[in-house]
Amino acid sequence: MTLKNIAKKIFMLEILKGMALTFRMMLTPAVTRQYPKEKREAFPGFRGLHALVRKENGDAKCVGCGLCAAVCPSRCIYVYTSEGPDHTKIVDRYEIELLRCVYCGFCVEACPFGAVALTRHYEYSDYSREALYMDKAKLLANWDKYMAGKEGEVYFKRFWRPMSEDFMAHDDQPVLRGKKSAAPEAVQKKETNTEKAQGELSNAA
Amino acid sequence: MNMIEAFLSAGSDNFLLNVVVILIKIAVVVGAVMFHVAYATYFERKVIGHMQIRLGPMRVGPHGILQPIADSVKLFFKEDIIPANADKTVFKIAPIIILFASLSSAAVVPFFEGFVIADINVGLLYIFAMSSMAAYGVVMAGWASNSKYPFLGGLRSSAQVISYEVAMGLSLVGVMLLSGSLNLTEIVHAQQQRWYGMFLFPQIVGYFIFLVAMFAETNRTPFDLPEAESELVAGYFTEYSGMRFALYYAAEYIGMIVMSSIAVICFWGGWTLPPVITNAVPALLAVPGIVWFVLKVYFHIFLFYWVRATVPRYRYDQLMSLGWKVLIPLALANIVVTSLVAYFV
Repeated sequence: MTLKNIAKKIFMLEILKGMALTFRMMLTPAVTRQYPKEKREAFPGFRGLHALVRKENGDAKCVGCGLCAAVCPSRCIYVYTSEGPDHTKIVDRYEIELLRCVYCGFCVEACPFGAVALTRHYEYSDYSREALYMDKAKLLANWDKYMAGKEGEVYFKRFWRPMSEDFMAHDDQPVLRGKKSAAPEAVQKKETNTEKAQGELSNAA
Repeated sequence: MNMIEAFLSAGSDNFLLNVVVILIKIAVVVGAVMFHVAYATYFERKVIGHMQIRLGPMRVGPHGILQPIADSVKLFFKEDIIPANADKTVFKIAPIIILFASLSSAAVVPFFEGFVIADINVGLLYIFAMSSMAAYGVVMAGWASNSKYPFLGGLRSSAQVISYEVAMGLSLVGVMLLSGSLNLTEIVHAQQQRWYGMFLFPQIVGYFIFLVAMFAETNRTPFDLPEAESELVAGYFTEYSGMRFALYYAAEYIGMIVMSSIAVICFWGGWTLPPVITNAVPALLAVPGIVWFVLKVYFHIFLFYWVRATVPRYRYDQLMSLGWKVLIPLALANIVVTSLVAYFV
């Protein structure tokens, strides 16, 4: 043991250093956020309370395809449809059981029409289970309440790319839906990607 | 202030008057100590919170100032659970022993000139006896709970307290040699006769040993092995709940206050300031002694919090080897040097 080590031990230099640090920290302002008093805005694109997108004419955008219910890992979305008078599909009930939802956002990702959304609202705890069981009316009301105006308009553009906007097929296949907003370079890139994927597929075969 | 002091220290021949004066003193001391216990818990949470860049209690009253009241009301109305296989009598006696042992230590502590409930000649010895008694409360709680974690906590506590009691007693022998008395008031007076006014300076080694032993004696971090949360749930009081748990909690803080008072009286000159300072600034003599005493005690209690926020818990064998291989030899060496100096100088 060198002299330096002995001196360190006797005067407990390490402990004194640590105590100096804790004393300094005591004088620095705390990082605590006093939650119910000072609330923090959720980040853009935060996955909070669910909402059903409302069209301009006031109806729900949902067509009742059931892809959201199919992809949902916790099986908490229930969609019931029936045939309307002019052979259209009518969504009778669209229900989400919030207590089982894991907020993965797969439903939003799976929806081909961008009809279901996750709002930035997250303070909806309640004492009853019924209040946390969302039916179609409640989900549409959520849209009006938390996604009104500009926020709802830009929501899908900023955070999700629904297939109706971005769907791309390769050239020799009938195009089902038109591509609307992709830039020419992006198209080029996409095509090369599909070609590459096809090449890999044929190689594998 | 002076009138009260004169009244309280009046050596009256009237037996009844003496009893009344002592009862008043007891009420004042117990009230003040219990108030400090309540707010020591609050400031502990606050200080440690800020050291960890948190805020500590903030919700009950402004800056959580009413938190101790909320805590005590909650503890008072909690269910009192006694394990079915516990030794019921011992289980009930144990918290009472520890609380009264630590509370009665305050009886010999002189808070300012002339204010002491029992001015006995063996004050220091009495303090040691009482802190050993408090260890019985811990051991009995560990035994009576009939549960493995409290039992381990009780065993650890008995070993720890025995080891550190020795070091603590030896660390104060230097003070006894210099002051020539075990009476706490006379120890303070002896310090007043020296120009530096505090035994802290000649007895710096003794003070260091006393500090370490003080932490071990009150079962505080870094020597909180009897109640090591991460290993023993809550240690010896795991099975206690409600008011009985509160008694243990109170006893721990009373122990801290009493030990801080002993450190202040034996090493920091009690309620007095060093004559060097009072000669330079005579105006300081006008300040009541209790102010200096309380400030010094607060510093030591802050030290408890500060160390708790900084130092991690010792391993059990490290604790034992620190006690027996470092502190006790150091204390013995300190006694030899002090007695040589005291004899020849």
